[in-house]
Amino acid sequence: MAGLATTFGSGAMTNSINEIENAQVMLVIGSNTSEAHPQVARRMFTAMDRGARLIVIDPRRTLLAQRADIHLAIRPGTDIPLLNAMMRIILDENLADDLFIEMRTENFYELRDMLFRLDLEEAARITGVELASIRAAARLYGRAQKAVICYCLGITQHVCGTGNVQSIANLAMMTGNVEKEDTGVDPLRGQNNVQGACDMGALPNVFPSYQQVDIDDFREKFERAWHVSLSPRPGLTLMEMTHGGKNGPLKAMFIMGENPVLSDPVMSRVEETLDNLEFLLVADIFLTETARRAHVVLPAASFAEKTGTFTNSERRVQMVRRVIPPLGQSRTDADIIMDLSARLGYVMDYESPAEIMEEIAMLAPIYGGMHHDRLENSWGLQWPCWDREHGGTPFLHKYYFTRGKGRFVPAAHEPPAELPDDDYPFLLITGRIYHQYHTGTMSRHSVLLSREAGEALLQLHPEDGRRLGVRGGEMVRMRSRRGEVRVKAQLTETVKAGEVYTTFHFSEMPVNLLTVSAKDHFSQCPEYKICAVHLEKV
Amino acid sequence: MPSSSQDLYQPKPAEIREVIEENSQIKTFDLSFVDREYNDGFSYEPGQFMMVSIPHCGEAPISVSSTPLNGGTIHLSVRRAGKLTEVMHEMKRGDVVGLRGPYGRPFPMASLSAKDLLFVAGGIGLAPLRSVINTCLAAGHERRITILYGSRTPSDIAFKEDLASWGQTKNVTCLLTVDRAEPGWEGEVGLVTALLAHCSLDPHETKALLCGPPMMIRAVLAQLADRGFADGDIITTMERHMKCGVGICRHCHMDDKLVCKDGPVFTLEELKQLKVMELQG
Amino acid sequence: MPDKYILKKDHLLPLLRKLKKTHRLIAPVRNRHGDTLFAGIDNLDEVRIDLENQPQNSLKQFFFPQQETLFTYSNPASDSYHFEPVVEESPPTLYFGVRSCDLSAVLYMDVVFLKNVKDPNYQRKRQNTILVGLNCNDPFANCFCNATRNGPFIDFGFDLQLTDLGDRFLVEYDRSRGQEIISDWRQFFAEADDQDVKAQYQAFLEARGKFRLQVHLDQAVKKLARDEVPESVWEELSMRCQDCGGCAYICPTCTCFSISDLQTTDHAGERIRSWDACTFSGFTRMAGGHNPVDRQMRGIEKRFRHKLQFDVKKDNRPSCVGCGRCVNICFGGTDIVRFINMTCCENI
Repeated sequence: MAGLATTFGSGAMTNSINEIENAQVMLVIGSNTSEAHPQVARRMFTAMDRGARLIVIDPRRTLLAQRADIHLAIRPGTDIPLLNAMMRIILDENLADDLFIEMRTENFYELRDMLFRLDLEEAARITGVELASIRAAARLYGRAQKAVICYCLGITQHVCGTGNVQSIANLAMMTGNVEKEDTGVDPLRGQNNVQGACDMGALPNVFPSYQQVDIDDFREKFERAWHVSLSPRPGLTLMEMTHGGKNGPLKAMFIMGENPVLSDPVMSRVEETLDNLEFLLVADIFLTETARRAHVVLPAASFAEKTGTFTNSERRVQMVRRVIPPLGQSRTDADIIMDLSARLGYVMDYESPAEIMEEIAMLAPIYGGMHHDRLENSWGLQWPCWDREHGGTPFLHKYYFTRGKGRFVPAAHEPPAELPDDDYPFLLITGRIYHQYHTGTMSRHSVLLSREAGEALLQLHPEDGRRLGVRGGEMVRMRSRRGEVRVKAQLTETVKAGEVYTTFHFSEMPVNLLTVSAKDHFSQCPEYKICAVHLEKV
Repeated sequence: MPSSSQDLYQPKPAEIREVIEENSQIKTFDLSFVDREYNDGFSYEPGQFMMVSIPHCGEAPISVSSTPLNGGTIHLSVRRAGKLTEVMHEMKRGDVVGLRGPYGRPFPMASLSAKDLLFVAGGIGLAPLRSVINTCLAAGHERRITILYGSRTPSDIAFKEDLASWGQTKNVTCLLTVDRAEPGWEGEVGLVTALLAHCSLDPHETKALLCGPPMMIRAVLAQLADRGFADGDIITTMERHMKCGVGICRHCHMDDKLVCKDGPVFTLEELKQLKVMELQG
Repeated sequence: MPDKYILKKDHLLPLLRKLKKTHRLIAPVRNRHGDTLFAGIDNLDEVRIDLENQPQNSLKQFFFPQQETLFTYSNPASDSYHFEPVVEESPPTLYFGVRSCDLSAVLYMDVVFLKNVKDPNYQRKRQNTILVGLNCNDPFANCFCNATRNGPFIDFGFDLQLTDLGDRFLVEYDRSRGQEIISDWRQFFAEADDQDVKAQYQAFLEARGKFRLQVHLDQAVKKLARDEVPESVWEELSMRCQDCGGCAYICPTCTCFSISDLQTTDHAGERIRSWDACTFSGFTRMAGGHNPVDRQMRGIEKRFRHKLQFDVKKDNRPSCVGCGRCVNICFGGTDIVRFINMTCCENI
């Protein structure tokens, strides 16, 4: 978010998902696309059928990496040196798009000067990738007329997440691979409607449509609409809220549809924080690990029981319609919020979700033309959609970047917060698998999905397995400086020796007992992707 | 087979009359149907299996390890392998499970009676063969019987009572071996193939029945082939994930065959027509 | 009794209204979101029967629901465990507007569920049904029933069969129940004349020429039978398959299922059966974890071998009916047409 906002002025996919099919070159970095975003991977396969080339940058040999023309199996957390090296090679080999840099961007010289100081051999050493491979990837990407970069949480969940994203943006701008159809920078969202939540201002510093709370004009607009006075100070970030501990900044929390006990780093700290609240209210469709700690739990309705919209990665706002009435005592999120608000003394009187959408259209410019009647019976509209006549925006930044000129923001390598050492010799990467969703709140209720993947597995290189005396299917005790879990080993060459991988879907193996609380300074996103662990056979 | 199509999938309650702990991983459950009349009319053949239901755990196929000649009782020998068997291992005398069956194509008992018999088993693989052996003995099989049984360690040896009694039967040779010895073990250490090498067998007059882990099966098959056994005289059983047990759901596919209906008993001759993972290694 | 009749298009709705008095009516209905689906019709005047578009679902779900309860169980104590059958009412049902692919699929399901062992749940739903077919004058974009040889026109298996002749339907019957409908409601049916029969043949000729895909299914069948499909084809397709199971769910002839317990209270639950897909790795994984099928390399092999090799060997015809639905739904481009094209890319 923060990375693209500073460079492009807008933190979302610049392309539509369908456009990926027409790319000549796809650079996938920090995304296990075929498992986490199969609908996007499908377009990548189609593009490959049409002759597109694929570069995958990932520490693991994922299914997608196996199919790639070039797989750069980098050392985790070294994306910036790798991207910088690619940019230096592009400069050296005259593959940069000088005209684009001149017409559409600013601050290029700062980046160029930094790149000229870069030692390519050293970059290769840091990243653990041969220089020849980096060079091949740089040439492939640099020469393409239409190239997309897809990235995901493997880029953002690092202490240098913002710098990672800025480097990706630098690479795309330097080669003129933005502001066009089938060409751009595409962050893939981690969950359904994360984009929508951000768009609606579920961030500490903005109102809906990314209108900053500290800008008077924006704030006054919302004050007029809501008849209240609003604070110009940004709110707390997620980590500030869930990691405050005993003397945290909050007395009460209302958590909707999220399970921070399992999903946030350093589980013990989250539990301590929640247990010290004077009041915890949770609304969810199932009794999650977080809901179990709440003073009051409000049963919420599922997607099939409510009408409204979801916004996906490609900024597409789509309608969902109620198929069945809410079961039992459950109620829709909107009903819960409106009722709660009324009892707290502020009446929210909306007769339908469509009326709420009307207010969104009025206050959030990028949703200006989004009305339920337009979204009904269609595949939705992509923001920005300024008014009723506007047909939506398949790709961003046509003619000029959202912020005016694209800004190059050079980034330097920042090592991960915790690297393996003698005591904790393995590097643990956390992520997802295909058959489970997030903390399993919903997906683990499916017999078939649980049959396909019903327990956490620790991917371990066979060489490491031999060294530890661990065979596939045997239990391993995994310990970090913060906690310990037991997990079943799966020997596979998907991971490199010295690196292990597991998922955070299973409450029996809460991997966030182990993860670090270090976070990116700008986005405050925790470094889930890297921590040091010790392994032993149980 | 089930009496009407209405209860094709619906088991009948069966009571555990006794639990025999064979080793740390295997227990034999002595069962009979709660419905006395049904129990009296119930019969099966060696090699067939039952679908066992455990509350909230679904069903699993378990081969019958007793002989039908001991009427009124069914032995199911269960190795701890998944959730259902884990729960079943906690059950005790008097508890009730659900059973339906018997299913599957049995061993060709009629073709065995006039032949020498070689049984080679590893681990839980002895369970279905025990049914055959005890049936043959009870029927007064007169020709030579050779039983070779391999276990991981001496404490993993299952069906000890049967092994002891077979060892004392006149026309039976019963040999044991373990992969790893323990203090006090004076018997063979090594693979069953080593035992097999010592046995004198007439390949034209012997039927070989094998059941055990794929590695063992492959090694034994290789040796039997060397010694001139015809593929049609080698009989084994296959194991696959199963759901319906009656040839509809297709979980237990093995090329165009279904283990629940076309097996679980196959001759090597039949298996060679198929692409079978166990034979390919 | 003659074997070909004419039903005026104006008289279709009145006829359905009569038949609906004694039968539950299921037909392709276009809903308010623009999707066409086979669905039950309560009020004929409130829905739009859509004979122009291919229904997204087949008839599979009506005979073999995505999930159904086989029986309920209770276990109040460890020494008691009871089973109660669940028997649902299955009223007489008339399926209208069934195209040759979906009709052939029902006939195939009859073999799976009724031939060797009679599946009680399927049988209950299948008996007392009337199938009214519709010959396809205009095959859809992904159709290839000409290659599977069960369309676009079919001449058996239905009770009644309609052919659209513009302002009228030509009506044929194959089974006695169809014959009964014609004689019970004789006022709707006029005898067809030579012109009508010629018009039907012309419609057939034209339909045959309208397929957009050329699918060399017979070649793939031969290659499979001779074991000539290159390993690389299985690997490529299995690796690309995104494991969603959509092909099996949407397929009118995929009938593999799973059985599991759905616990409802501490001491009771239901044994349910639900659709499954042979492409899932859990389909073959045994208790203890061993899996005889390597999903990543061979996960998709069973699906195509079953339809194009094993069923051909057993019943002398493939169990793909060429409806093209999997082509539409497949994520990874690993549908049956892709398989056939990859297998037969040379030496056609």
